[in-house]
Amino acid sequence: MAASRWAALCQGVSVALKASRALVTPQSHTRSGCRLAGDVFSETTPSSSPLHQSRFLHSTLARKGLEEFFDDPKNWGQENVKSGASWTCQQLRNKSNEDLHKLWYVLLKERNMLLTLEQEAKRQSLPMPSPERLEKVVDSMDALDKVVQEREDALRLLQTGQKYGRPGAWRRDLFGRIIWHKFKQWPLPWHLNKRYCRKRFFAMPYVDRFLRLRLEKYTRSQARKTSLMKKKEKSLQERFPRLSRAQNSSTA
Amino acid sequence: MARNVLYPLYQLGGPQLRVFRTNFFIQLVRPGRAQPEDTVQFRIPMQMTRLDLRNYLQSIYGVPVAAVRTRVQHGSNRKRDHRHVRVKKPDFKVAYVQLAHGQTFTFPDLFPEKPPDTEGSADSDLQDYLLEQEQQRQISDPRRGGVPSWFSL
Repeated sequence: MAASRWAALCQGVSVALKASRALVTPQSHTRSGCRLAGDVFSETTPSSSPLHQSRFLHSTLARKGLEEFFDDPKNWGQENVKSGASWTCQQLRNKSNEDLHKLWYVLLKERNMLLTLEQEAKRQSLPMPSPERLEKVVDSMDALDKVVQEREDALRLLQTGQKYGRPGAWRRDLFGRIIWHKFKQWPLPWHLNKRYCRKRFFAMPYVDRFLRLRLEKYTRSQARKTSLMKKKEKSLQERFPRLSRAQNSSTA
Repeated sequence: MARNVLYPLYQLGGPQLRVFRTNFFIQLVRPGRAQPEDTVQFRIPMQMTRLDLRNYLQSIYGVPVAAVRTRVQHGSNRKRDHRHVRVKKPDFKVAYVQLAHGQTFTFPDLFPEKPPDTEGSADSDLQDYLLEQEQQRQISDPRRGGVPSWFSL
Protein backbone atom coordinates (compact mmCIF):
# COMPACT_ATOMS: atom_id res chain seq x y z
CA MET A 1 0.00 0.00 0.00
CA ALA A 2 2.70 2.45 1.04
CA ALA A 3 4.94 1.44 -1.87
CA SER A 4 2.15 1.89 -4.39
CA ARG A 5 1.35 5.31 -2.91
CA TRP A 6 5.01 6.33 -3.15
CA ALA A 7 5.14 5.11 -6.76
CA ALA A 8 2.03 7.12 -7.59
CA LEU A 9 3.58 10.11 -5.81
CA CYS A 10 6.78 9.90 -7.87
CA GLN A 11 4.81 9.60 -11.09
CA GLY A 12 2.70 12.54 -10.07
CA VAL A 13 5.81 14.60 -9.31
CA SER A 14 7.33 13.89 -12.73
CA VAL A 15 4.07 14.70 -14.47
CA ALA A 16 3.74 17.93 -12.51
CA LEU A 17 7.26 18.91 -13.53
CA LYS A 18 6.36 18.46 -17.20
CA ALA A 19 3.01 20.22 -16.88
CA SER A 20 2.97 23.89 -17.69
CA ARG A 21 2.29 26.49 -15.03
CA ALA A 22 -0.98 27.84 -16.38
CA LEU A 23 -2.74 24.53 -16.96
CA VAL A 24 -5.38 23.42 -14.50
CA THR A 25 -4.52 19.73 -14.28
CA PRO A 26 -7.08 17.16 -13.09
CA GLN A 27 -7.52 16.37 -9.44
CA SER A 28 -5.18 13.38 -9.29
CA HIS A 29 -2.20 15.52 -10.30
CA THR A 30 -2.96 18.40 -7.99
CA ARG A 31 -2.24 16.22 -4.98
CA SER A 32 1.15 15.08 -6.20
CA GLY A 33 3.67 17.72 -5.20
CA CYS A 34 2.09 19.17 -2.08
CA ARG A 35 1.91 17.65 1.37
CA LEU A 36 1.08 19.59 4.48
CA ALA A 37 1.69 18.52 8.04
CA GLY A 38 -1.77 19.57 9.13
CA ASP A 39 -3.49 18.13 6.06
CA VAL A 40 -4.98 21.39 4.95
CA PHE A 41 -6.17 19.91 1.67
CA SER A 42 -8.41 16.89 1.38
CA GLU A 43 -10.00 15.28 -1.64
CA THR A 44 -13.48 14.00 -1.92
CA THR A 45 -12.08 10.43 -2.32
CA PRO A 46 -11.80 8.68 1.06
CA SER A 47 -8.55 6.89 0.21
CA SER A 48 -6.29 9.90 0.99
CA SER A 49 -5.03 9.86 4.58
CA PRO A 50 -3.08 12.63 6.29
CA LEU A 51 0.66 12.09 6.45
CA HIS A 52 1.94 13.41 9.76
CA GLN A 53 5.14 15.42 9.93
CA SER A 54 5.97 14.85 6.25
CA ARG A 55 8.42 17.16 4.54
CA PHE A 56 7.50 19.34 1.60
CA LEU A 57 8.33 17.99 -1.83
CA HIS A 58 9.72 21.12 -3.43
CA SER A 59 9.08 19.86 -6.95
CA THR A 60 7.43 22.80 -8.67
CA LEU A 61 5.96 25.91 -7.13
CA ALA A 62 3.11 25.80 -9.61
CA ARG A 63 1.50 22.88 -7.81
CA LYS A 64 1.49 24.35 -4.33
CA GLY A 65 -1.56 26.55 -4.68
CA LEU A 66 -2.99 27.96 -1.49
CA GLU A 67 -0.07 26.62 0.59
CA GLU A 68 2.04 29.49 -0.72
CA PHE A 69 -0.01 31.81 1.47
CA PHE A 70 1.64 30.17 4.48
CA ASP A 71 5.21 29.79 5.58
CA ASP A 72 7.15 26.52 5.84
CA PRO A 73 5.33 24.46 8.52
CA LYS A 74 8.60 24.16 10.47
CA ASN A 75 8.37 27.90 11.18
CA TRP A 76 4.85 27.80 12.60
CA GLY A 77 4.94 28.64 16.31
CA GLN A 78 8.55 29.86 16.20
CA GLU A 79 9.33 33.21 17.80
CA ASN A 80 12.04 34.27 15.34
CA VAL A 81 12.49 33.37 11.70
CA LYS A 82 15.82 34.16 10.05
CA SER A 83 15.78 36.23 6.91
CA GLY A 84 18.36 37.96 4.74
CA ALA A 85 18.75 41.64 3.84
CA SER A 86 16.51 43.46 1.39
CA TRP A 87 17.51 43.96 -2.24
CA THR A 88 19.34 47.25 -2.89
CA CYS A 89 18.87 49.39 -6.00
CA GLN A 90 22.39 48.70 -7.24
CA GLN A 91 21.97 44.93 -6.95
CA LEU A 92 18.73 45.12 -8.92
CA ARG A 93 20.26 47.26 -11.65
CA ASN A 94 22.57 44.37 -12.50
CA LYS A 95 19.63 42.06 -13.28
CA SER A 96 17.90 41.59 -16.63
CA ASN A 97 14.26 42.50 -17.23
CA GLU A 98 13.12 38.88 -17.18
CA ASP A 99 14.88 38.33 -13.84
CA LEU A 100 13.28 41.45 -12.38
CA HIS A 101 9.85 40.31 -13.59
CA LYS A 102 10.28 36.92 -11.93
CA LEU A 103 11.65 38.51 -8.75
CA TRP A 104 8.66 40.84 -8.56
CA TYR A 105 6.30 37.85 -8.36
CA VAL A 106 8.51 36.00 -5.89
CA LEU A 107 8.47 39.08 -3.65
CA LEU A 108 4.71 39.48 -4.20
CA LYS A 109 4.02 35.95 -2.97
CA GLU A 110 6.31 36.46 0.03
CA ARG A 111 4.52 39.69 0.86
CA ASN A 112 1.11 38.02 0.63
CA MET A 113 2.35 35.27 2.94
CA LEU A 114 3.64 37.79 5.50
CA LEU A 115 0.43 39.83 5.35
CA THR A 116 -1.58 36.65 5.94
CA LEU A 117 0.63 35.82 8.94
CA GLU A 118 0.29 39.36 10.31
CA GLN A 119 -3.49 39.26 10.09
CA GLU A 120 -3.65 35.83 11.74
CA ALA A 121 -1.35 37.02 14.55
CA LYS A 122 -3.64 40.02 15.17
CA ARG A 123 -6.62 37.68 15.16
CA GLN A 124 -5.05 35.35 17.75
CA SER A 125 -3.65 38.30 19.77
CA LEU A 126 -0.13 36.91 19.48
CA PRO A 127 3.08 38.61 18.31
CA MET A 128 4.01 38.03 14.69
CA PRO A 129 7.35 36.22 14.36
CA SER A 130 10.00 38.53 12.83
CA PRO A 131 7.88 41.42 11.52
CA GLU A 132 10.97 43.02 9.99
CA ARG A 133 10.65 40.56 7.09
CA LEU A 134 7.65 42.52 5.80
CA GLU A 135 9.57 45.81 5.86
CA LYS A 136 12.45 44.20 3.96
CA VAL A 137 10.12 42.83 1.30
CA VAL A 138 8.38 46.20 0.93
CA ASP A 139 11.74 47.97 0.56
CA SER A 140 12.86 45.42 -2.03
CA MET A 141 9.68 45.90 -4.06
CA ASP A 142 9.99 49.69 -3.94
CA ALA A 143 13.60 49.47 -5.09
CA LEU A 144 12.58 47.14 -7.94
CA ASP A 145 9.83 49.53 -9.00
CA LYS A 146 12.28 52.43 -8.94
CA VAL A 147 14.80 50.55 -11.11
CA VAL A 148 12.13 49.55 -13.63
CA GLN A 149 10.84 53.14 -13.76
CA GLU A 150 14.39 54.37 -14.42
CA ARG A 151 14.76 51.93 -17.31
CA GLU A 152 11.37 52.90 -18.77
CA ASP A 153 12.15 56.63 -18.51
CA ALA A 154 15.53 56.15 -20.21
CA LEU A 155 13.95 54.11 -23.01
CA ARG A 156 11.17 56.64 -23.55
CA LEU A 157 13.64 59.55 -23.63
CA LEU A 158 15.81 57.76 -26.17
CA GLN A 159 12.96 56.60 -28.41
CA THR A 160 10.55 59.54 -28.30
CA GLY A 161 12.28 62.36 -26.43
CA GLN A 162 9.30 62.69 -24.02
CA LYS A 163 10.20 63.32 -20.37
CA TYR A 164 6.89 62.09 -18.92
CA GLY A 165 4.80 59.09 -19.93
CA ARG A 166 1.52 60.92 -19.42
CA PRO A 167 1.13 64.13 -21.47
CA GLY A 168 0.53 67.42 -19.66
CA ALA A 169 1.02 71.17 -19.82
CA TRP A 170 1.79 74.14 -17.56
CA ARG A 171 -1.44 76.08 -17.14
CA ARG A 172 -2.81 78.82 -14.91
CA ASP A 173 -5.69 77.59 -12.76
CA LEU A 174 -8.72 79.50 -11.43
CA PHE A 175 -6.71 80.88 -8.48
CA GLY A 176 -3.92 82.24 -10.67
CA ARG A 177 -1.42 79.55 -9.70
CA ILE A 178 0.74 77.92 -12.38
CA ILE A 179 0.13 74.15 -12.20
CA TRP A 180 1.18 71.06 -14.21
CA HIS A 181 -2.15 69.93 -15.63
CA LYS A 182 -2.07 66.20 -16.53
CA PHE A 183 -4.18 65.26 -19.53
CA LYS A 184 -6.94 62.68 -19.30
CA GLN A 185 -8.12 60.35 -22.05
CA TRP A 186 -11.55 61.18 -23.44
CA PRO A 187 -13.52 59.51 -26.27
CA LEU A 188 -14.53 62.86 -27.75
CA PRO A 189 -12.75 66.13 -28.71
CA TRP A 190 -12.30 68.85 -26.06
CA HIS A 191 -14.65 71.40 -27.64
CA LEU A 192 -17.57 68.91 -27.42
CA ASN A 193 -16.69 67.85 -23.85
CA LYS A 194 -19.09 69.63 -21.47
CA ARG A 195 -17.26 68.57 -18.28
CA TYR A 196 -13.89 69.70 -19.61
CA CYS A 197 -15.25 73.04 -20.81
CA ARG A 198 -16.57 73.79 -17.30
CA LYS A 199 -12.94 73.81 -16.06
CA ARG A 200 -11.38 77.23 -16.39
CA PHE A 201 -7.65 77.56 -17.11
CA PHE A 202 -7.56 81.33 -16.72
CA ALA A 203 -7.84 83.77 -13.81
CA MET A 204 -9.95 86.90 -13.75
CA PRO A 205 -8.27 90.32 -13.10
CA TYR A 206 -9.56 90.57 -9.48
CA VAL A 207 -7.31 87.61 -8.60
CA ASP A 208 -4.11 89.64 -9.24
CA ARG A 209 -4.38 91.36 -5.84
CA PHE A 210 -4.44 88.00 -4.06
CA LEU A 211 -1.54 86.74 -6.18
CA ARG A 212 0.50 89.70 -4.98
CA LEU A 213 -0.45 88.99 -1.36
CA ARG A 214 0.61 85.35 -1.76
CA LEU A 215 3.91 86.43 -3.33
CA GLU A 216 4.54 88.81 -0.42
CA LYS A 217 3.79 86.07 2.11
CA TYR A 218 6.19 83.71 0.34
CA THR A 219 9.04 86.24 0.09
CA ARG A 220 8.52 87.19 3.75
CA SER A 221 8.84 83.55 4.86
CA GLN A 222 11.97 83.05 2.68
CA ALA A 223 13.53 86.23 4.11
CA ARG A 224 12.79 85.03 7.65
CA LYS A 225 14.44 81.66 6.96
CA THR A 226 17.62 83.22 5.50
CA SER A 227 17.91 85.73 8.33
CA LEU A 228 17.48 82.96 10.91
CA MET A 229 20.26 80.95 9.27
CA LYS A 230 22.56 83.97 9.24
CA LYS A 231 21.88 84.69 12.92
CA LYS A 232 22.66 81.08 13.86
CA GLU A 233 25.92 81.19 11.86
CA LYS A 234 26.90 84.43 13.59
CA SER A 235 26.16 83.10 17.08
CA LEU A 236 28.16 79.92 16.32
CA GLN A 237 31.12 81.99 15.15
CA GLU A 238 31.02 84.08 18.33
CA ARG A 239 30.93 80.98 20.52
CA PHE A 240 33.54 78.94 18.60
CA PRO A 241 35.93 81.37 16.85
CA ARG A 242 38.70 78.74 16.44
CA LEU A 243 36.49 76.43 14.37
CA SER A 244 35.24 79.24 12.14
CA ARG A 245 38.87 80.33 11.48
CA ALA A 246 39.76 76.71 10.64
CA GLN A 247 36.76 76.44 8.29
CA ASN A 248 37.70 79.72 6.55
CA SER A 249 41.32 78.62 6.13
CA SER A 250 40.28 75.21 4.71
CA THR A 251 37.85 76.76 2.22
CA ALA A 252 40.30 79.53 1.20
CA MET B 1 -4.49 44.89 -12.43
CA ALA B 2 -2.78 47.58 -10.33
CA ARG B 3 -3.55 50.13 -7.61
CA ASN B 4 -2.89 53.86 -7.96
CA VAL B 5 -2.52 53.55 -11.74
CA LEU B 6 -4.55 55.33 -14.39
CA TYR B 7 -6.23 52.68 -16.57
CA PRO B 8 -6.15 53.77 -20.23
CA LEU B 9 -9.47 54.43 -21.96
CA TYR B 10 -10.89 51.46 -23.83
CA GLN B 11 -12.74 51.84 -27.13
CA LEU B 12 -14.13 49.14 -29.40
CA GLY B 13 -11.32 47.41 -31.30
CA GLY B 14 -8.65 48.68 -28.91
CA PRO B 15 -5.86 46.50 -27.49
CA GLN B 16 -6.33 44.31 -24.42
CA LEU B 17 -5.03 46.06 -21.30
CA ARG B 18 -2.03 44.20 -19.92
CA VAL B 19 -0.43 45.19 -16.62
CA PHE B 20 2.98 43.71 -15.86
CA ARG B 21 4.04 43.67 -12.21
CA THR B 22 0.67 43.91 -10.53
CA ASN B 23 0.32 46.10 -7.45
CA PHE B 24 -2.38 44.05 -5.70
CA PHE B 25 -1.55 42.30 -2.41
CA ILE B 26 -4.09 39.93 -0.87
CA GLN B 27 -4.31 38.13 2.46
CA LEU B 28 -5.93 34.84 3.30
CA VAL B 29 -7.95 35.29 6.49
CA ARG B 30 -9.60 32.91 8.91
CA PRO B 31 -13.38 33.25 8.44
CA GLY B 32 -15.26 34.79 11.36
CA ARG B 33 -18.35 32.69 10.65
CA ALA B 34 -18.30 29.05 9.61
CA GLN B 35 -17.95 28.79 5.83
CA PRO B 36 -18.50 25.78 3.53
CA GLU B 37 -15.48 23.56 3.09
CA ASP B 38 -14.64 24.71 -0.42
CA THR B 39 -14.77 28.43 0.45
CA VAL B 40 -11.61 30.45 1.09
CA GLN B 41 -11.84 33.98 2.50
CA PHE B 42 -9.51 36.77 1.33
CA ARG B 43 -9.02 40.45 2.09
CA ILE B 44 -8.28 42.24 -1.16
CA PRO B 45 -7.69 45.87 -2.12
CA MET B 46 -10.78 47.97 -2.82
CA GLN B 47 -9.82 48.48 -6.46
CA MET B 48 -9.76 44.74 -7.21
CA THR B 49 -12.72 43.03 -8.87
CA ARG B 50 -13.80 39.42 -8.74
CA LEU B 51 -12.48 38.86 -12.28
CA ASP B 52 -9.14 40.33 -11.21
CA LEU B 53 -9.02 38.00 -8.21
CA ARG B 54 -9.87 34.98 -10.33
CA ASN B 55 -7.10 35.76 -12.83
CA TYR B 56 -4.70 36.56 -9.96
CA LEU B 57 -5.24 33.23 -8.23
CA GLN B 58 -5.25 31.18 -11.41
CA SER B 59 -2.17 32.68 -13.03
CA ILE B 60 0.04 33.47 -10.02
CA TYR B 61 -0.93 30.70 -7.59
CA GLY B 62 -2.39 28.09 -9.96
CA VAL B 63 -5.52 27.71 -7.84
CA PRO B 64 -8.60 26.62 -9.82
CA VAL B 65 -11.45 29.00 -8.95
CA ALA B 66 -15.10 28.17 -9.50
CA ALA B 67 -16.80 31.29 -8.14
CA VAL B 68 -15.90 34.56 -6.41
CA ARG B 69 -18.21 36.79 -4.38
CA THR B 70 -17.09 40.12 -2.92
CA ARG B 71 -18.35 42.64 -0.40
CA VAL B 72 -16.97 45.86 1.05
CA GLN B 73 -16.36 45.98 4.79
CA HIS B 74 -16.75 49.43 6.34
CA GLY B 75 -13.91 50.29 8.77
CA SER B 76 -15.19 51.93 11.94
CA ASN B 77 -15.05 55.71 12.28
CA ARG B 78 -16.56 55.73 15.74
CA LYS B 79 -13.48 55.77 17.99
CA ARG B 80 -12.07 59.10 19.00
CA ASP B 81 -8.59 59.99 20.18
CA HIS B 82 -7.53 62.28 23.08
CA ARG B 83 -8.47 65.35 21.00
CA HIS B 84 -12.00 64.04 20.38
CA VAL B 85 -11.08 63.68 16.69
CA ARG B 86 -12.52 60.62 14.97
CA VAL B 87 -10.06 57.84 14.12
CA LYS B 88 -10.90 55.91 10.95
CA LYS B 89 -10.00 52.27 10.46
CA PRO B 90 -9.50 51.64 6.74
CA ASP B 91 -12.21 49.99 4.65
CA PHE B 92 -11.38 46.77 2.88
CA LYS B 93 -12.97 44.36 0.44
CA VAL B 94 -13.65 40.74 1.43
CA ALA B 95 -13.77 38.01 -1.21
CA TYR B 96 -15.23 34.54 -0.78
CA VAL B 97 -13.62 32.17 -3.30
CA GLN B 98 -15.08 28.75 -4.04
CA LEU B 99 -12.53 26.25 -5.29
CA ALA B 100 -13.17 24.11 -8.34
CA HIS B 101 -12.75 20.35 -8.83
CA GLY B 102 -14.15 19.52 -5.39
CA GLN B 103 -11.11 20.81 -3.51
CA THR B 104 -11.54 21.77 0.12
CA PHE B 105 -9.57 24.07 2.42
CA THR B 106 -9.39 24.56 6.17
CA PHE B 107 -7.46 27.44 7.67
CA PRO B 108 -4.44 25.91 9.46
CA ASP B 109 -3.28 26.67 12.99
CA LEU B 110 -0.27 28.93 12.45
CA PHE B 111 0.60 29.26 16.16
CA PRO B 112 0.69 25.73 17.59
CA GLU B 113 1.72 25.42 21.23
CA LYS B 114 5.20 24.04 21.58
CA PRO B 115 5.82 21.34 24.25
CA PRO B 116 8.05 22.60 27.11
CA ASP B 117 10.44 19.62 26.82
CA THR B 118 12.43 21.42 24.15
CA GLU B 119 13.92 23.72 26.89
CA GLY B 120 17.66 23.34 27.45
CA SER B 121 18.69 21.40 30.59
CA ALA B 122 21.20 24.08 31.68
CA ASP B 123 18.48 26.75 31.74
CA SER B 124 16.09 24.62 33.81
CA ASP B 125 18.85 23.79 36.35
CA LEU B 126 19.65 27.47 36.76
CA GLN B 127 15.97 28.31 37.24
CA ASP B 128 15.54 25.59 39.88
CA TYR B 129 18.63 26.83 41.77
CA LEU B 130 17.34 30.42 41.77
CA LEU B 131 13.88 29.31 42.96
CA GLU B 132 15.47 27.39 45.85
CA GLN B 133 17.51 30.43 46.85
CA GLU B 134 14.37 32.63 46.85
CA GLN B 135 12.47 30.14 49.01
CA GLN B 136 15.29 29.90 51.53
CA ARG B 137 15.43 33.67 51.88
CA GLN B 138 11.70 33.96 52.54
CA ILE B 139 11.37 31.15 55.18
CA SER B 140 10.44 32.73 58.52
CA ASP B 141 11.40 31.61 62.07
CA PRO B 142 10.47 27.87 62.36
CA ARG B 143 9.76 28.34 66.13
CA ARG B 144 6.71 30.49 65.31
CA GLY B 145 4.90 27.49 63.82
CA GLY B 146 3.73 29.08 60.58
CA VAL B 147 2.12 32.12 62.24
CA PRO B 148 2.52 35.28 60.09
CA SER B 149 4.94 37.92 61.36
CA TRP B 150 2.52 40.86 61.32
CA PHE B 151 1.05 39.60 64.61
CA SER B 152 2.62 41.49 67.47
CA LEU B 153 5.52 39.93 69.31
